[in-house]
Amino acid sequence: MTKMPKTKPHNLSRIIDRVEDLPTLPRTVLRITELVNDPKSSARDLARVITDDQVLAARLLRLVNSSFYGFPQRISTITGAIVLLGFDAIRNLLLTTSVFDLFATRNKTSMFRQEQFWDHSLGCAVGAKVIGNHLRYDKVEELFVSGLLHDIGKIVEMIFMRDAFKEINNLVKDENILMISAEEKILGYSHPEVGRLLAEKWNLPPKLIHVILHHHRPSEAGRFSLESAIVHLADILCRSLNIGYGGDNKIPPLDKMAWESLRIKPQAIESILAEITKEFDDISLFISYSP
Amino acid sequence: MKSRKIGIAVAIIDVNELKPGMILAKSVYNQQGLLLLEKDTALTKKRIWILKTWGIKRVRVKGKPKEDGKTAVEIERESRETIEKELKAKFEDVIDNPVMKEIMKAAQRQLLKNINDQDAENKAS
Repeated sequence: MTKMPKTKPHNLSRIIDRVEDLPTLPRTVLRITELVNDPKSSARDLARVITDDQVLAARLLRLVNSSFYGFPQRISTITGAIVLLGFDAIRNLLLTTSVFDLFATRNKTSMFRQEQFWDHSLGCAVGAKVIGNHLRYDKVEELFVSGLLHDIGKIVEMIFMRDAFKEINNLVKDENILMISAEEKILGYSHPEVGRLLAEKWNLPPKLIHVILHHHRPSEAGRFSLESAIVHLADILCRSLNIGYGGDNKIPPLDKMAWESLRIKPQAIESILAEITKEFDDISLFISYSP
Repeated sequence: MKSRKIGIAVAIIDVNELKPGMILAKSVYNQQGLLLLEKDTALTKKRIWILKTWGIKRVRVKGKPKEDGKTAVEIERESRETIEKELKAKFEDVIDNPVMKEIMKAAQRQLLKNINDQDAENKAS
C-alpha cells in the first residue's frame, strides 16, 4: 500500500473529475424520476416500470402496507399504491429505499458507524416530516427525503476520500468540534458542497439540491429557504435526542433567521420532540439497516 | 476532548434486561468479530433489537452492580446523569442562544421519558 502524504489536498474539482465514479442510483429509480417529471406520464406507465423490477415492487407494497402509512385496508397492487400515494410520494419512497441499499452495500467492516450514520439520516428525515406536519407544509414526503439525503456528502467523503475522511474524524475527536469545521480545516470545503455534486449527478430536483447544499446555513437557500430551515432544525433536534450519530458530538449552531422564519413557538418543541421519538421508533423497526 | 474516568463501575447484563439509555461499557462484536456497537454507545430500542438478532446474550454496561446482580435501577440513575452530562457537553458551544437552551431542556425531558416509558413497558410484560 502506498502511503499518502499526511494532508493531501483534495480540491473539489478533483472530486468533480471523479464524479463518474460516484455511486449511481438503480436504473429503475432514474427512470421513475424521469416519469414523475414528465407531465404526460400516467399511473399506468409508472406501474409498468415498477413492476418490471420485482424487488422494488415487493418493497413498495411492503412499505405502503406498513404502519408508517396506516392505511386501513391492504393495498395489493402497484397501481393501487400509486393512486393512493401519488407520483411524488412513490418516487420518494423508492428513492429512499434505493439510497438505503447504496449505503448498505459499501464498507461492511465499519458497520457501526454506518448503522449509526443511517439512524442520523433517518432521524433527520423523520424530524423534517414531523416539523413539516407541525407547519402544515403540504409535501412532507419531500421533506422526508431531504432529511434522509442532507448529509450524503459525508458518504462520498467516506468512500472517495478515505484518508482525508480519517483525518477529519481524528480532528473531530481530538478537538471535539463539528465535522463541518474539521472538513473546512482539512479540505477547505465541506459535505454540503460535496453532497450537492452527487445530487446534481443524480438529477435530483432543485429543492433537494438546495437543502443538501444549505442545511447548515438555510437562510442562504433563496426560494428553498423554508425547506432548508426545516431540515436544519431537524438535524439539531435529532442530535439532541441522541438519534444516530452525525459524525461528531456537537450541536450545529442555529441559524437565527431561519428559526425566526419558521415561527415555531418554543413551547411546541416538546411535542415535536415527542412525535419524532415516536415516529422514529416506528419507522426504524421496519426500514432497518441490513448489513 | 479527553475522556475523564469518574469511576463508573461496569455490570454484565442479560440482553433481555437492557433498556434504552443504558451505556455500553465495552464494544460488542458478533461471532465473526464484526463490530456491532461501539463502547459508550447509548442503547436504543433498535440497538437492543440488533443485539438480540445477532444472538448476543449478555453485554457490559456502565453502572454499579448490586449484590444480587440486579442492577437495572442503579444503571438507570446513572443513565439519567449521563443524559444530562452528555447533553450539556453537546450544547456547550451554542447554549447562549435561548432557543437552543429550550431545545436542550426539552430533549432532556424527552430522553428521561424514554427510559420511564420503557420501564412501564417492561413491567406490563
